[in-house]
Amino acid sequence: MWGIVLIALAVLAVRRVWLGYPATGAEFAVLAPREEAFLQAAAEALFPPHERLPLSGGQADLPGYADRYLAVLPRRQRTLIRALFALFEHATLLWPGKGRGGFKRFSALLPEQRLGVLRDWQSSSLALRRLCLTALKAILILGYVGHSESLAALELAPWKIESPRVEADFLYPPIGGRRDQISRAGKPLGGAPTAPPLMPGLDQEAP
Amino acid sequence: MSSEASEDGEVRVFSDYTRDFEEDADVVVVGSGPSGSVVAYELAKAGHKVVLIEEGPPFTPQEFRADGNISMARTMREGGLRSTTGTFMPILQAICLGGGSLINSAMCVRPPAFIFDEWSTRYELDHTTRADLDPHYDAVSEFLGIAPTPEDVQGPRNLLFRQGCDALGIASEPVDRNVRGCRGSGECFSGCRARAKQSMDISYIPEAMKFGARVLTSLQVQGVLGEGRRVGGVEGRVVEPFSGRTSHAFRVRARWVVLAAGCMATPVLLQKSGNLANTSGQVGRNLQFHPGSAVAGVFPESIDPIFGGTQSYQSLAFLEEGFKLETMWSAPAALAVRMPGVGTELVQRFGELPRTAIWDAIASTHRSLGTVKARFRSLNPVIRWTLHPEDIKVMLRSIHVLAQIFFAAGAEKVLPGVGGLADEMHSLEEAEVLRDYAIRSGDLVTASSHVFCTTRMHGDPAQGVVDEEGRCHGYDNLYIADTGIFPRCPSVNPMLTVMALAHRQAQSLVERV
Repeated sequence: MWGIVLIALAVLAVRRVWLGYPATGAEFAVLAPREEAFLQAAAEALFPPHERLPLSGGQADLPGYADRYLAVLPRRQRTLIRALFALFEHATLLWPGKGRGGFKRFSALLPEQRLGVLRDWQSSSLALRRLCLTALKAILILGYVGHSESLAALELAPWKIESPRVEADFLYPPIGGRRDQISRAGKPLGGAPTAPPLMPGLDQEAP
Repeated sequence: MSSEASEDGEVRVFSDYTRDFEEDADVVVVGSGPSGSVVAYELAKAGHKVVLIEEGPPFTPQEFRADGNISMARTMREGGLRSTTGTFMPILQAICLGGGSLINSAMCVRPPAFIFDEWSTRYELDHTTRADLDPHYDAVSEFLGIAPTPEDVQGPRNLLFRQGCDALGIASEPVDRNVRGCRGSGECFSGCRARAKQSMDISYIPEAMKFGARVLTSLQVQGVLGEGRRVGGVEGRVVEPFSGRTSHAFRVRARWVVLAAGCMATPVLLQKSGNLANTSGQVGRNLQFHPGSAVAGVFPESIDPIFGGTQSYQSLAFLEEGFKLETMWSAPAALAVRMPGVGTELVQRFGELPRTAIWDAIASTHRSLGTVKARFRSLNPVIRWTLHPEDIKVMLRSIHVLAQIFFAAGAEKVLPGVGGLADEMHSLEEAEVLRDYAIRSGDLVTASSHVFCTTRMHGDPAQGVVDEEGRCHGYDNLYIADTGIFPRCPSVNPMLTVMALAHRQAQSLVERV
């Protein structure tokens, strides 16, 4: 009897955690389809369309952004961030959304249920829950507000800067490169510009 | 181990290491941050053979990234996600040539005399008064061209801080910075594309190389070679930038070893080297921070926040109460993280960013102590730290004062960022709740890049790790030069002080080596 119950629970767990996520065709270095689905759902809930910004969270390719971020993190930190995504996706078992189907995983909730769930995390009496939401928001906000279209709309894009070459620019090769790759072009202190745009095509003129 | 020694005045990067190697030097300096660079320069200038080791790579403007997450993942330890346990707090620590100077805001502040008076009396440090250190402050300041931030690159968000302070009769001042030709782009935290900030990688280190110092980057020191009361050098592995993968072994034999790896890495290195220099039992203990609390203020009109020095105005008026106030700017998206709310209310606040200034307070939380211990099979530390209730009150007081300054400067609302209180406060009266709020540590969102005391200086060898010259008690030739040697948190930004202490230490070493 108990064996059957355990098998049934295992099947339900596998189904909840791994199955039923749609294949979007997007290719990621790190993200699994279940994480893509969660991030897309969280982005839509956190950043709905608004007149002040040209893109909503759902349009800003935040799964792609998160994938690029995860790819440069050390393994341990990458694992922690992925665990954070899984926590939000399945914590509806403990703190469900309001209304029918509130125990479904986060990405399967209705839009208003997702927003309600995030509001519950924000106003929780548990500091750890609030902290987890802050961490999730931090990752997604940096991708959303940092998106070139958001920055342009807010008139907060980085400046065009033409930096003088300093002596040190003739000492250090590109990271991962060899010393024979050090550019010899330009003259030190006041010569050719070296600073590339921080956001190509977007940098605004300095005052 | 074969020999593949570098040449005098040479810098080596990851691709240069093709096999195991050994080096010989008079002095090996571990860590190229502000203190290690000063020591390396002064000793090389005096004619000694110096090897300066750095675990991170050199960054040039081509390597800087606008995105806050990516930038931190590339330039900071543990991908920018290092944190304390106990009281949770993110800890920002650099891993790059030049250390924190590459990605800090260049604030150079001399602590007032009473800070050093406390150090002297509590920790038996008879020669570490402000007057003792002033010549060393002067030497570093002259080298780096440290000067007050000029008016023309302050920008509105810094000048509004001054305006608010003036209205309340609070003393404030432009920040002294190690900057030449600042254009006010506010990009200090992601690397100065204008090449104005005199970070170590473009100031002290190239000058040290002119005197023959060899700079070996992408090397992770894993152990100090100990021989009784003397040490004989360091050893470790080549480490790939960003991935952290280790490969070839190296050893640097030296007559003198200076550890300037930072307040976390140095104690871990000592612990991993057979609990070196720890007869006092103080290695890795007494950990202190300057936790920072940021408060946002929204003004009626755009304040063009993208223009102006990153952190260019400050008030030292509350140092004796335990906190310092300063202005702040960063990548706009990083500042947006500070915004409360979800959904429409959150996006609405993003729309207010052009009207928003962020000012912060750093607290001198000397009652809040912690420990640093080596993690199993890792050089990353386990950091335990607990915020003391009395220090929490000081931080809340600092937030209240910032709210007052915002309203005095004309802000229409303030976002205090205190859990359990309103997200927005629209008047001084509403902000009064900050005065008596029964706050808990979990109500504060805080972070710190100022870390101290894990190898503290103390006149009594039973109570400290190093003496006033930074030499480890009980050792002839092992020195520590980073902020771990501070006996107590200094209440102000520590870069200039750790450089002044390193300068004094270098003068002493020059005579001994």
